[in-house]
Amino acid sequence: MTAKEITPVKAGAVSVPYGHVIGNEKWRGSQIAQGLQGKIKVILEDGLGLVDFHLSNRSCILYISEADLVAGNGFKRRLVRFRNASSLHGIVLVEKTQISDQYFPAVQKFIVLELGMTLLPVANQEEASQLIIQLVHEQSKDQTSNPFLRKKCSQLLEPSILRTVQQIPGVGKTKALLLLQQFVSIHQLCNASVQDLELVVGQAIAQQIHAFLSQTK
Amino acid sequence: PRCSGPERNASLCILVDSREISSGSEIISCLKAEHGVKVQVCSLGGCDYIVSTRMAVERRTQSELLNSLNRTKVIQRIQQLQSMFERICVIVEKDRVKAGETSRLLQRTKYYDGLLAAFIRAGIRILFSSCQEESASLLKDLAMVEQRKNVAIQVPTEVRGAKEAALRFYLSIPNISHLAALHMCHGFESVKKMANSSPRAIATCARVSLQKAEEIYRYLHSGFDLQVLPEKRPA
Repeated sequence: MTAKEITPVKAGAVSVPYGHVIGNEKWRGSQIAQGLQGKIKVILEDGLGLVDFHLSNRSCILYISEADLVAGNGFKRRLVRFRNASSLHGIVLVEKTQISDQYFPAVQKFIVLELGMTLLPVANQEEASQLIIQLVHEQSKDQTSNPFLRKKCSQLLEPSILRTVQQIPGVGKTKALLLLQQFVSIHQLCNASVQDLELVVGQAIAQQIHAFLSQTK
Repeated sequence: PRCSGPERNASLCILVDSREISSGSEIISCLKAEHGVKVQVCSLGGCDYIVSTRMAVERRTQSELLNSLNRTKVIQRIQQLQSMFERICVIVEKDRVKAGETSRLLQRTKYYDGLLAAFIRAGIRILFSSCQEESASLLKDLAMVEQRKNVAIQVPTEVRGAKEAALRFYLSIPNISHLAALHMCHGFESVKKMANSSPRAIATCARVSLQKAEEIYRYLHSGFDLQVLPEKRPA
């Protein structure tokens, strides 16, 4: 590696238009570049430094080939330099093949658990291009289309409150309903005196409920 | 990635869902015997492993994630975890090859890649494992990383006597993890004390985020309206 190493990541990153991927010039003519063609717009640029593909202005891909893995720890230095130089979310694609399989657990531990980056194994460049297409699609989609980012709609609390009150020993559904009609919330129920409780349930149960709620260790 | 002796991880604790006894027995024995981790098997209700006060781990076989027929099941499960935990990690485990069966070559699908992309965008961590032994090793590693960040599980995991009823009571609070309920059980002198606590006190005691504590606080103070109860009133 030469002068490129001076700037590990291109200054100001790159602003990637929606549905585009900006790739390092070195990938021209590669299987990955071919696989992407026709599916998403690919722009190849010089001077991306350590980054192989920019997916958006927040995330990028670093590619580790089978040969990189077998060659030794050079790729680790590259990843550490990237981490120190950039706040971009780095997704590391690793070629996991029969030959590189043995290195995978250690590599995963290093990338995910030590560096806190994301790692995705691929069998070859063809799989990598398929995966990159999906990553780009995901980035350009509206946030609400991701089921894991969707705001959950607020649920009705009443059934849960009823269930919680029924966890009090001696209280079934009927008594729970009676208690909640009288004390309205769990908070109020917890602060009810034995006398208050007796107005709703029998004396024995009232004492049992009070004992449960105010029981100290 | 073998570990160097059980003693080293004596302080590590991982909660395991009881359903993993049948589907991940090797993981459990490996965690105990090889890694010396304290394993507490309990009914976690929709969560495979809890490795720290904030992180849940979901174990899925690769074939389950390759097939889009499981989409709803997987999504619901992860959403449920998101409602209880700050951090989620999915371990993608290679399918077991049964004796006498040749390893099927699983075809990577567009759906699978899309699912991984959705996980990543939502900040869900992904780890890949080739077998149960390796999954055990990953769980131990995750628990160790979390321990370094001071969020290890340190609460007594067994509850007896009167506290059992209190635990059940805390567990019935919506979107509360088994671990948060355990913390409440050991941290609050009584249920009444808990109900009279501020969100900040709940957060400290249950080891949950302030946001989650506020959610619990709102629940405890929420007025019960019989009219909106979906079921019929008892006669």
